[in-house]
Amino acid sequence: MSDPTRRGGAGVGRLDPNGAAARDGMPAASPSAAAPAQGRSASVPRAYPYRQPATWWLRRRGYFLYVVREATALPVAVWIVLFLVEVWRLRGGPSGYRPFTSPLFVGVSVVCLIAALWHSFTFLNLAGLIMRIPLGDRNVSARAIVVGAFAAFTVATIVVGALIVWGGV
Amino acid sequence: MTTKTITVSVTRFDPERDERPRLQSYDVPFQDDLVVLDALNWIKAHADGSVSYRWSCRMGICGSCGMNVNGEPKLGCSAFLRDYLPGPVVVEPLSNFPLIRDLVIDMSSFMEKLQWVKPWIIREETALGAGEHRQTNAQIDQYRQFSMCINCMLCYSACPVIPVAPDFVGPAAIALARRYDLDSRDQAGQERLRTITGSDAIWDCSFVGECSAVCPKGVDPAQAIQQAKFESTMGMLLPWGGR
Repeated sequence: MSDPTRRGGAGVGRLDPNGAAARDGMPAASPSAAAPAQGRSASVPRAYPYRQPATWWLRRRGYFLYVVREATALPVAVWIVLFLVEVWRLRGGPSGYRPFTSPLFVGVSVVCLIAALWHSFTFLNLAGLIMRIPLGDRNVSARAIVVGAFAAFTVATIVVGALIVWGGV
Repeated sequence: MTTKTITVSVTRFDPERDERPRLQSYDVPFQDDLVVLDALNWIKAHADGSVSYRWSCRMGICGSCGMNVNGEPKLGCSAFLRDYLPGPVVVEPLSNFPLIRDLVIDMSSFMEKLQWVKPWIIREETALGAGEHRQTNAQIDQYRQFSMCINCMLCYSACPVIPVAPDFVGPAAIALARRYDLDSRDQAGQERLRTITGSDAIWDCSFVGECSAVCPKGVDPAQAIQQAKFESTMGMLLPWGGR
């Protein structure tokens, strides 16, 4: 490519009325914020640093779904704490068994269940991407791994559910 | 007859004059087969010769013209203006890198990270007369997709981990590490695996997955990273894992 700066130009471009910063959420550069990149000599023109805006997770659908996926851990953690409280009450024997039964607890539990199911769904769906299982000189297909993971999840859920309902667990 | 135009807004930043980047708009003659890079070349030739950007091959191979087009990391040579009608098309530098001028980012951190994972075949020297290092198609398939990386850095621009963990070696470098780890001719698998399982590497990744979504060559860096995590974990848990 020839030296572009020698081409000149009429400069018919127009400035945006607000002079909007081209990099989202970025403040004006102060001299201190515009220090030369590390390892470069002072004669090199300063580089403008990138700062991630706080709303980065709203900029792409994938970011948003990622945050939702990670956030499902919070209600699950809350439910586990409540569960541990119930277990703590049992330290004196069966007489201490006083499970939470309020509508609020039931509502929280439903939210936690949905969060846990969504997290499990996303996790199992990604299993095929993550696992590389050699089979001869090829690998087991990602689809087979995902189907297997969901099948194992379903069987485990049925077995645990049956033990709770009919097994006296 | 009036010429149909489309507005292209380009980030402008002169480090010697500007406090911060700004957008400047240009009305560019529209044709159905023009890409964003063509628009930039038109601006440079006819409107403002000072607009700075990197480009080379114009065919999605060199990886030079990575930029954000309407907020999405794209190769300028592969982003058709017709997909952004009626406009405007906002062209900004790749995110997560210091900005040197206009659309030109400072990629030195990426070059250092790339070198760190030793993306080349490492093996004990053998005599030239010993013959070729043959591979079956199945062996090539193990790493083929990772070998398609063109170092365009779109995945770094899409990764929200980089701004909070600037030393994170990043998607493309780890994908290339896997490319050589999975190559049957390479003998440095364990050494390279130790590198990418150490600090500032695979465990910094929280699996957002957008690095793979934006890759113009179909490489799946998120898969490379998660596979390395899985194999590293198995290596710790299974007695034969460290083989």
